[in-house]
Amino acid sequence: MPRPLTYISLVLVAASLIPIGMVFKSRSVRSRQETRIQVVYDMDSQFHFRAQSENPFFADGRSMRLAPEGTVARGALRNDDPFFNGTVEGDTLFVTQFPLEVDSGLLDRGQERYDIFCATCHGLTGDGNGLTHIRAAALAEGTWTPPTDLASASVIERPAGHLYNTIKNGIRNMPAYGSQIPPRDRWAIVSYVRALQLSRNATMRDVPPELRGELPR
Amino acid sequence: MAPENRDHSQGGSSGTGEPRNEKFVFPRWTNRLVELSIVLVVGGLIYATVLITGVFSPENSAIGYAPVQPVPYSHAVHAGELDIDCRYCHTGVETGAQATLPPASTCMNCHKYIKLESELLEPVRLAVETGEPIRWIRVHDLPDFTFFNHAGHIQSGVGCVSCHGRVDNMEVVEQVERLTMGWCLDCHRDPDSELRPEALVTAMDWHPEGDPAVLGGKLRAEGEIDPSTDCNTCHR
Ligand code: HEC
Ligand code: HEC
Ligand code: HEC
Ligand code: HEC
Ligand code: HEC
Ligand code: HEC
Repeated sequence: MPRPLTYISLVLVAASLIPIGMVFKSRSVRSRQETRIQVVYDMDSQFHFRAQSENPFFADGRSMRLAPEGTVARGALRNDDPFFNGTVEGDTLFVTQFPLEVDSGLLDRGQERYDIFCATCHGLTGDGNGLTHIRAAALAEGTWTPPTDLASASVIERPAGHLYNTIKNGIRNMPAYGSQIPPRDRWAIVSYVRALQLSRNATMRDVPPELRGELPR
Repeated sequence: MAPENRDHSQGGSSGTGEPRNEKFVFPRWTNRLVELSIVLVVGGLIYATVLITGVFSPENSAIGYAPVQPVPYSHAVHAGELDIDCRYCHTGVETGAQATLPPASTCMNCHKYIKLESELLEPVRLAVETGEPIRWIRVHDLPDFTFFNHAGHIQSGVGCVSCHGRVDNMEVVEQVERLTMGWCLDCHRDPDSELRPEALVTAMDWHPEGDPAVLGGKLRAEGEIDPSTDCNTCHR
């Protein structure tokens, strides 16, 4: 084969390895940050909007529209003060009784929700030593208020409706959780906080006699 | 040009049917052109196959996708070290199709008091002030012609880790599964080893004692879990 031809074909063979090399490189490099490679578009992105996607039609760019102010969606009327606000009907006084039946199902739900939403600050037992508090204290964040011990006398004395309101609207330096936790779950958490208060202040007399022997001393 | 006068040029092309130019001889190496062209064709086919499967495969185009987000939010810190439950932020995951990303106000629950001067959190503060949402870049994205629903999976006890990997160890969220139809069907045909008690769906490092398929089989029978492989489950 004439020399130049040999060289040209060698160069071509070498060049053909580059795309393959690129493919394997992009496979082995894990965190690729370029935009996603999309070879065939098909109908992958269609002209409709999904929840939380951007919609250039509206000024605020949200495809999920917020309800116009002063309107109530059908079935979403919240005119049951004790249940939705934790207050006595037509008053601002907090209810002391639960406006729904408290059973073990509600308590279990409360435990699960408490562990999700409250434990990170107040700790799994409500003593105020959640991981976020520990971290904030370690970072010496001057603006951080230690979360209240939920079994302290002041919180035990609060009426149930006050605890409900604390979750819904927050209190002093504690943020509001109303947007993250729906009403029934708020009551479930209140019931579990009551259970934590009982258990943290329990004495030997609260344990049924036949079980006392099983407790570690 | 008169053919008779040609003494050396390409022969055999004058169209009279008789080669007139006997002086032209193909060089010896051209004898190997036949073999060479076979090698070229076969090699080219193999080359094209490797390249096309390489470029098109989800291992290449989807797995490992980890875009840079507008705020360097770290799951490794929040969901890992601080052990915040996934549902604290992704509140829709148990009840809706979408897991939903948290609004900036959720971040402010803590960041109103922690790291409130941090440069990195500037976009979050801006979002809360102006009401302009933070534009997070989507990582996991199915084609729009498919239907997916988180709630159905979470309520059946499929853990986040089965589809998203160890998010609680990720500084930047990256896709670890293929998210192709074959991948969905693999599990829909035989979900046993991926099922867990519903309360543990967000426990990222949970492993059942013993064979996962045994526990999964039990849960599946109890919950009457029977993922469908009908086309209209996912294409509707
Ligand atoms: C971001 C951390 C944080 C989270 C999460 C949190 N709290 Fe708090 N909580 C606080 C802080 C801080 C205080 C003390 C506020 C103060 O004294 O300014 C507090 C105080 C309280 C109090 C005492 C209020 C009073 O009557 O004086 C209650 C009750 C309470 N929290 C319940 C809850 C419940 C229930 C949840 C879960 C839904 C929860 N908290 C989640 C930080 C948090
Ligand atoms: C403190 C809030 C918070 C917590 C807790 C949290 N996330 Fe996220 N998550 C976010 C935010 C904000 C984003 C968007 C930015 C990003 O992709 O990093 C996100 C993104 C994601 C994504 C990628 C979404 C996409 O675009 O495809 C997945 C998957 C995810 N989270 C899973 C989890 C899992 C699993 C857990 C529990 C181990 C968890 N998250 C806990 C806030 C949170
Ligand atoms: C439950 C409390 C909590 C929530 C909710 C939370 N964070 Fe954090 N975040 C922290 C703590 C504590 C740190 C400090 C960690 C450290 O540096 O050790 C932190 C650190 C950060 C940092 C690093 C800041 C720096 O300067 O080092 C960023 C960025 C951040 N968070 C973003 C977010 C975003 C975005 C959200 C909302 C999706 C969010 N965080 C929600 C507690 C929280
Ligand atoms: C059966 C697999 C599967 C499981 C289990 C799963 N996801 Fe997803 N997730 C997906 C897929 C697929 C997408 C992409 C959806 C799309 O493009 O419509 C996604 C998207 C997301 C997103 C971003 C987009 C959205 O839907 O808002 C977040 C955040 C997320 N998942 C969080 C979670 C969390 C948290 C859990 C566990 C509680 C979880 N996922 C469990 C498959 C799964
Ligand atoms: C790790 C296992 C697993 C994977 C992976 C998985 N699924 Fe599922 N899927 C399930 C289980 C379990 C169910 C529940 C079936 C039942 O309720 O009987 C389910 C149910 C569904 C349903 C019906 C839900 C409803 O509420 O009607 C749809 C739709 C679906 N899956 C779509 C998908 C798609 C699309 C993918 C791929 C992106 C996928 N699944 C991947 C396990 C999985
Ligand atoms: C468990 C959910 C599920 C079921 C059941 C399912 N598909 Fe799919 N299908 C998907 C997903 C997810 C994709 C997108 C795959 C991707 O992005 O690579 C898809 C993609 C496709 C595509 C487009 C492929 C392309 O890239 O152009 C076709 C065609 C298709 N499916 C046909 C079917 C048919 C026919 C059936 C019934 C026999 C079926 N699917 C059942 C989840 C499903």
